[in-house]
Amino acid sequence: MRVPISWLREYVDLPADAQQIADRLAMLGFPVEEIAERPVITGVVVGKIVAIEKHPNADRLQVCKVDIGGDAPLQIATAATNVAVDQVIPVATIGAQLPHLKIEPRKMRGVESQGMMCSAEELALPAEWFEDGIMQLDASSPLGRDVVDLFGLTDAVLDVEVTSNRVDAMSVLGLARELSASYGAPLRLPSFENPGTDEDPDGLAPRVTLDSSDCTRFIAQRFDGVRVGVAPAWMRVRLALAGQRPISNLVDVSNYVMLETAQPLHFYDAEQVRDGHLFVRNARAGETLVTLDDVERTLSPQALVVADSERALGLAGLMGGATSEVRESTTAIVLESANFEGVRVRRMSMQLALRSEASSRHEKTLAPALADMGAARAAQLLVALGARAYRPHAFGADLGASAAIELRARDVERLLGLRLEPQRIARHLELLGCGVALDGDRLSVTPPAWRRDLTIAADLVEEVARVEGYDAIEPVEPAVPAHDVSSAEYQLETKLAATLSGLGYREVLTYSLQGQQVLERVKRAGIAASREPVEVRNPLSEDQRFLRWALGPGLLEYFARVDAPARVFEIGHVFAQEQSVTEIPVLAFGFSAEAIDEPAWHDTHFLRLKGDCEALLRAVCGITVEATRDVKAGLHPGKTAVLMHDGREIANFGKMDPRVTRSFGVRLPVYLCNIFLEHVPEYRVPRYHPPSKFPSTYRDLALVTDFDVTAEQVSTIARRAIGELCLDVRAFDEYRGPQVGEGRKSLAIRATIGKYDATITDEEADAAIARAVEALRADAGATIRT
Amino acid sequence: MSELATKLDHVQTRFEEAVAAATDERALDAVRVAFLGRSGEVTTVRRGIGALPPAERPDAGKVINAAVERMESALADATARIENRAFEAELAQSVDVTFPAIAPTTGSIHPVRRVLQDAVAYFERHGFATVLGMEIEPDYYTFDALNIPATHPAREGFDSFFISDTLLLRPHTSPMQIRTMQSHEPPIAVVAPGKCYRRDAVDARHLFQFHQIEGLLVAEGIHFGHLKGMLTGLCRELFGADQRVRFRPSFFPFTEPSAEVDTTCPKCKGRTSACNMCGGSGWIELGGAGMVHPNVLREVGYDTEIYTGWAFGFGIERLALTRYDIDDIRRFVECDPDFLTQLA
Ligand SMILES: [Zn+2]
Repeated sequence: MRVPISWLREYVDLPADAQQIADRLAMLGFPVEEIAERPVITGVVVGKIVAIEKHPNADRLQVCKVDIGGDAPLQIATAATNVAVDQVIPVATIGAQLPHLKIEPRKMRGVESQGMMCSAEELALPAEWFEDGIMQLDASSPLGRDVVDLFGLTDAVLDVEVTSNRVDAMSVLGLARELSASYGAPLRLPSFENPGTDEDPDGLAPRVTLDSSDCTRFIAQRFDGVRVGVAPAWMRVRLALAGQRPISNLVDVSNYVMLETAQPLHFYDAEQVRDGHLFVRNARAGETLVTLDDVERTLSPQALVVADSERALGLAGLMGGATSEVRESTTAIVLESANFEGVRVRRMSMQLALRSEASSRHEKTLAPALADMGAARAAQLLVALGARAYRPHAFGADLGASAAIELRARDVERLLGLRLEPQRIARHLELLGCGVALDGDRLSVTPPAWRRDLTIAADLVEEVARVEGYDAIEPVEPAVPAHDVSSAEYQLETKLAATLSGLGYREVLTYSLQGQQVLERVKRAGIAASREPVEVRNPLSEDQRFLRWALGPGLLEYFARVDAPARVFEIGHVFAQEQSVTEIPVLAFGFSAEAIDEPAWHDTHFLRLKGDCEALLRAVCGITVEATRDVKAGLHPGKTAVLMHDGREIANFGKMDPRVTRSFGVRLPVYLCNIFLEHVPEYRVPRYHPPSKFPSTYRDLALVTDFDVTAEQVSTIARRAIGELCLDVRAFDEYRGPQVGEGRKSLAIRATIGKYDATITDEEADAAIARAVEALRADAGATIRT
Repeated sequence: MSELATKLDHVQTRFEEAVAAATDERALDAVRVAFLGRSGEVTTVRRGIGALPPAERPDAGKVINAAVERMESALADATARIENRAFEAELAQSVDVTFPAIAPTTGSIHPVRRVLQDAVAYFERHGFATVLGMEIEPDYYTFDALNIPATHPAREGFDSFFISDTLLLRPHTSPMQIRTMQSHEPPIAVVAPGKCYRRDAVDARHLFQFHQIEGLLVAEGIHFGHLKGMLTGLCRELFGADQRVRFRPSFFPFTEPSAEVDTTCPKCKGRTSACNMCGGSGWIELGGAGMVHPNVLREVGYDTEIYTGWAFGFGIERLALTRYDIDDIRRFVECDPDFLTQLA
């Protein structure tokens, strides 16, 4: 909201420095987005044209005699065409400083000119918002009075942000009250007495029927003797400084009151309201209304309208209609100062994609009492313009007195850690407009009628803190008591990230929301997505329609971008649409690497990936889990493994399906591991096994087995057969080819054999190996390669 | 005897020539084998002893042994000489130490996680636990339980991504307040970092996904001063010991009193109108905080007459932008290797 400081000064004395005022507002909870400084203007005074003569030497110039309250009128030549005798106008006297001009004595075509009459633009006001030519001031302005001072033309304008709970402060008066409380400076309030006391002429009393509970209060008031014209200069300047274009005296009055009090108003041409009877009701389906912006709108029952018995006249709290609009011929008006349910106004505004200054206030639900205050202020201004005000009529619920809130001085100390005397607390609340009854430590507080946000003691504590200043609260380090909340999940993530970083992987963050094109890429690769993706109902764009169902695609995009061997990981959640929406915390890590020229049954990168995966799990859960072969969507069908523990899949890993890699534009082969964080077992402390003091020995065996016999099976059989002499069995080479025959492979294993209490003898070792060979033959169909 | 002595002289002369000619240890070894080896020249001479009269043999043996000793000693000297020459040669080398390093293959933690971990570490040191949560939450946890009424604009679907009528991507980490309090009796001291989502168009200052760290302390005797104390400490931990922290009144449905928390701009240290980090204000906005609203405490069944508490929620990206002087929030998700390397 744009707030001219000059307008604030009408209600409260403030420091000269705009920055200081802005800082104070921020510390009251109203941050200032911008301080718009005004250009320097000096030496402009109120003058009155007392005579006009033709310029002797120039057809386009006139020579005016202008009285500025001095001994003799000034002689000023002008090219402006809108001048006339008796006009009261701003005069820049000799020595005056205007935004782009310094006024000096000069001759215009031979005639001496002792100053310049100013247009609005020359006073740094928007030219298109004011009359062409010389600006017209109010006839009552004292001659010689400093115009800058009169209008506060050089005071900065603040752009103030108001939180949604404080719609009452979306007003100059509301902010002035805050500053007054904070500075402890008296507040100069305008009167909120409604001057309309006369009974309406017979049969012309406005009536209002509220056919919707979304209108809680409606003040209707008739005025006649209205003359539509230009508003007084002081009002137009104020509106312009506040960023509101002056339109006509009636429209300007409604805008002025709204900016001053936060209460939006609307004027109806009384002639256009059938029987003077207004209805607030739901719009009928398909009902049309041309709004003030000249757009014909088709309404639905969600819209709330103010209507007469025949037709909708306006959108409640949002915008008036064109038919009942005040026009130049209007002489009698009906004022609407109403209170609407904010949700209703907001939804209507969204549905119609229409916003207004009025709706920006109504949608936050104003206090009903503001309707009466707004009507009173409007009536005063209209009477000042010469209108006759009749008695206001209130419809809807009565204004009940606000319920008192009980507050104890120790509530303040308990929440703030700041001890304040009850008297001081009471004073702060009173400065904000609260009624306070003080009884020892107890305060009975009645919130001001214009505020709806004060309902409990904690609300009042915040008010006290704001007036006292948050800075007054001393920072203290709390003694945090013991509690029993576990950090295990976080620690797991932290440890995984640290370990992977140590293994040379870089952590990345990628978007959780993805577009159709990612799904398309997977489909184009000829495989089905591993999970049904979860769709967002209201995405901002098609690129963000689906929640990711795997982390792999994000990493693939990284590899595609880097196009060089890289190692990355991401920890994040993936989502799937199953019977219900599921969310799974996952860690994915992987690398892209140049392909190695090696036999089809051997993949060094796969074994490196497996090594990293095992190292990672050893670090976080202290155990090694045996891999078993599996098939996973997106991974190479022959190069995929899972790690199972207690029947749950801790991890899967393998080479990425080359069709997927290609589909994502990655040139290099990619190896990827997914770890399901919820399945990672708790860390188990490993036990130390001391080495034997006696030397061990080993035997290498070259076995020939079928393809599907795994290294793990062979090792297990051998280990079991060797028994307690077995220190280790490990496969270390594999070969497939014509020498070993179709469907068979050669597998080299090394068995390490030893004892803890003596040196093993060759005979013992040989006997153990013979047991192993026999078991391998019997259980795995393995023969010794010769 | 004299014949043997002459032979020995010859051997010795050739030995000395060979030693002098040897330039490395291998050549010296060859000399040793050729002269002193099992079938070396000295052995050949020694065999001549057998042809001498018995009376001359002991002297001849002594002469040969003495020669062998001299030769051994000469070899040792030569070895030492060659070794020294090698040391001298190596020590004479030098490199340009300013030449660019060969970078190791290292990994790294994402700057967002790094800042998060530093913030968490601060709270854990003060006795807080760390909890994680889910990103899809029912509206009960995101709104209702947090005193955000059904009619609140945040629930209209303009600010949050909805999955169904009641499920949405959490727009803040505050659901973890409710979940933690519902599963634990007071006192409670937790931080909850995690990913959040809001329907913001992506630009240099906004992403539709971001991270927050939520903090919650509920116990007897907890007040706003404690909130100021902890958050001031956090800012000093993250940005330096001279940081100042400002609490401005604000409005959140789930706290009362509420505050916006700012810290002094660590880049310009005050009002420098041209500062691109703070926009010239001298302050960086960190997020919201306040005393937990009594309705929230009541919702989880905590006795508001006994317990008070505070909560806060800060944007982690904002902390990281400020800490590393990053110009554009999109860099966090752009996966630019250079970005990740620079901050590793
Ligand atoms: Zn700065």
